[in-house]
Amino acid sequence: MNNISRRDALRVGGLSVFGAAFLAACGKQSGVVPSANILSEGVATPTTAIPEGVVTDAVLLRTAASIEYNAIDLYNLILNDSMLTGDYAKLTDAVKRFRDNHQTHADTVNALAVSLGGKAHTCANARMNSLYIDPALKLVTEKGNPDTSRDIVALVHAMENIGVQTYQGFVATLTSPTLRADAMRIASAEARHAVVLAQVLNGGYASVGPTINETTGKPNIASVPAAFGSLSTVLLSVGTPNSDNLKPTLTFETPSLNGLIYDFVDCQ
Amino acid sequence: MTTAQASTPRSTPPAQPTEADKQLLQFAQGVELAARDLYKKAVESGKYADDELAMLTLFGEHHNSYAQAMNGLIGKAATNTRNESLYSSHVGQLASAQSAYASLQALENTLAATNTDILGQLAGIDGARILASIITIEARMGAVFGTLPSLSVTSALNAGANSLAPKIAQATVASTETTVAP
Repeated sequence: MNNISRRDALRVGGLSVFGAAFLAACGKQSGVVPSANILSEGVATPTTAIPEGVVTDAVLLRTAASIEYNAIDLYNLILNDSMLTGDYAKLTDAVKRFRDNHQTHADTVNALAVSLGGKAHTCANARMNSLYIDPALKLVTEKGNPDTSRDIVALVHAMENIGVQTYQGFVATLTSPTLRADAMRIASAEARHAVVLAQVLNGGYASVGPTINETTGKPNIASVPAAFGSLSTVLLSVGTPNSDNLKPTLTFETPSLNGLIYDFVDCQ
Repeated sequence: MTTAQASTPRSTPPAQPTEADKQLLQFAQGVELAARDLYKKAVESGKYADDELAMLTLFGEHHNSYAQAMNGLIGKAATNTRNESLYSSHVGQLASAQSAYASLQALENTLAATNTDILGQLAGIDGARILASIITIEARMGAVFGTLPSLSVTSALNAGANSLAPKIAQATVASTETTVAP
């Protein structure tokens, strides 16, 4: 039998009262707005829900326009910063022509987007810039890179391929057959740009079809890289070579759902 | 924005080729087989060697792959016969290497234009997907003839060609919606 003295009983009772008062102090406080957040201190900043993105034909066309502006900006950078030197300077007229072609393509897809009730989008895809183009430009223009001209041509070649793949990929999502054909007319023109740049980077009959670089084990730049147009990633090797004479390799992809130019996306 | 939030509130197009699609893809198969045979003729002419020969062989194989892809799409509707008109309009120009390249470039541009027009009439998505993946490569093959043996940007970008695609109307699809009386 346990013997609890009167003193023990008073001690336990006192602790219970103190504990209850302490817990109550940790609970709801007067003047504090209740928050949905658990374990937060103070008042949580109210959040605004992100608008729901709905993929429509107009959104796809606006996204295509944004990719055109990525290319336009790159070609303008090449021209404004005189990035083509040596033998590559011969490409200057072609670069101007390609830039103007992309402007025409951007105007075309924007006009189609507007005809479908969408808004024209007249700036580059910010997500493509931050994910792929900016890191690539950093490597291309870094001090010590001996091939800046070659690498900037490789970068626009990669972006031409991304353009082709973007349109080709949209064919499965565009609802109208005529829009699909319009998309592929532009894709074909950009595929031709890619061939010219591929021949500059890796020219000759032997480089037309797919080949593998024996040193790196990676595919060489090819004018006609496969029998069917690919929708997979585009590899880009640019920048200062390491001690094994290998350049860093980046992987480019077409815009995902997070990179589409939804109705609520505007140029900054 | 998360991917889960994006939605596509659209009607779903058919995946399989419709009857009209099959006729269009039959035509596409015929022009691809004509291209295959034209490259075969060029390869067997004895005018080309080494890497140049390998390139022409590769291009011919690509067109054969496209014809086979059409077979996969339309099954028993496939005729597996080349478009004789297209074949005969180019075969005579393969006699000299110089005219052969101009002719093969015109051939590729014609195929790209024809398939793009066909794509613009297809209702089925499976056919549209495959045709889109063919069109970009045919545009590339056409451009190659503008870059080799010497690079001409103007020639490489020249896509001028008439489409041979027939116009075949899709049958009107009966609506599946029903009206319920109040």
